[in-house]
Amino acid sequence: MADSPGPPAASRDGRPTDFELVQRLAQGDRSAFGELYDRYGTPSYSLARRICVDPELAEDVVQEAFLALWRHPARFDPTRGSFGTWLMTLVHHRAVDAVRKENTQRRRTVPLTDDVSPPVEGSEHEALVSVVSAEVRAALHTLPEEQRQVIALAYLGGYTQCEVAKLTGVPLGTVKSRTFAAIRRLRGTLGNLWAGETGETTGANR
Amino acid sequence: MRTTSVDLHTLTGAYAVNALSDTERTAFETHLARCESCATEVAELAATATRLGAAVDFPPPPHLRARVLAAAAETRQLSPHTPRLPRTRGWGRAGGLLAAACLVAVAFVAVQGTQSDRDQLAQLSSQYSRFSDLLSTPDARLVSASGPNGSTATAVVSVSRNELLFVSKDMPAPPADHVYQLWLIDADGPHSAGLLAPPSAPLVATGLSNARKVAITVEPQGGSQVPTGDALMEIALA
Repeated sequence: MADSPGPPAASRDGRPTDFELVQRLAQGDRSAFGELYDRYGTPSYSLARRICVDPELAEDVVQEAFLALWRHPARFDPTRGSFGTWLMTLVHHRAVDAVRKENTQRRRTVPLTDDVSPPVEGSEHEALVSVVSAEVRAALHTLPEEQRQVIALAYLGGYTQCEVAKLTGVPLGTVKSRTFAAIRRLRGTLGNLWAGETGETTGANR
Repeated sequence: MRTTSVDLHTLTGAYAVNALSDTERTAFETHLARCESCATEVAELAATATRLGAAVDFPPPPHLRARVLAAAAETRQLSPHTPRLPRTRGWGRAGGLLAAACLVAVAFVAVQGTQSDRDQLAQLSSQYSRFSDLLSTPDARLVSASGPNGSTATAVVSVSRNELLFVSKDMPAPPADHVYQLWLIDADGPHSAGLLAPPSAPLVATGLSNARKVAITVEPQGGSQVPTGDALMEIALA
């Protein structure tokens, strides 16, 4: 299937923007779908793999997320943020749903009380050391330890607030306020723009 | 228990990192639709959370691209303006499928509750660890059938999970430019449950509803909306 000529509002390097690809995809253009996979397949799989641990489950999650995009591209609302953020949120939701279903998998993946009780060590520590980039690690390390712990368990571990409370022995209300404080603080240090591989760092509506 | 609106506003962070339970998420989304400041904040915080995930680096396996594209090729897109088409369209084919299936010699092996059943489940569990949850469901039931050239197929059905795992063995390669497609057959006729590509790949189908049988047909590459090929194998679920 040949690429359709890009609309005049193409990005600076002449490549179609994510939003243009989504629009073409909505017309059934499979090459646009492939192009979006090429842009976001790696970050999507990486996130799914981090949360699911099981490579095959991560593949399923990525496939489900991209199929959801394919089936209903209009679900992406460019006025609400960038495509990258939208897609990664979708992947995150699918991954967390999958992992919450696979109870046995989770127990194996993230040791419960043992490793979490000393707050520095444990699943979130492992996540930070092994797979998270220096930049994000640095940003996470600007957080107070107790905030870093809840955000890692929640976002990278796929745990709900209630589960985090049980795991850490911290009251639920405290977990909630720490999560809120942590993500707001990260917004300040990391910024809130998607920095995917495409170089497209702004929302499609800009 | 009642959640106050003050609580809801502070859930933007937990929502952005997807740490709400399903019920909390639903409640918060109801609030989000009406609270512009929360919506804005969620958008920003979600973008920040995404940065956390994007920094993780696991290269996807190379075959995943083809798999995702193939799955899209067999998936109908929903138009934003038209409701989902009823799936009963094209049921004229269903009679043909069922008739064709009757011509196939099918041996049903009901092994529920026997030692070999448990052994086989245990073996499947280790072989397909990602399905262990389905396979270990108390009501998981296992049915088998034989097909052409000594091939066999096994389905593990869990009504409580509304899921079915289908695994075939020794299926001959489909004709060139063709693929095996799995169908769930209920009173309305067959519904596609996905492609078996490669033939031995396990497939999980959800939404069993009242499916009574599964069947495999040979379809053109990319699969079909309704079965066009002969049924090679059929397994009764009921």
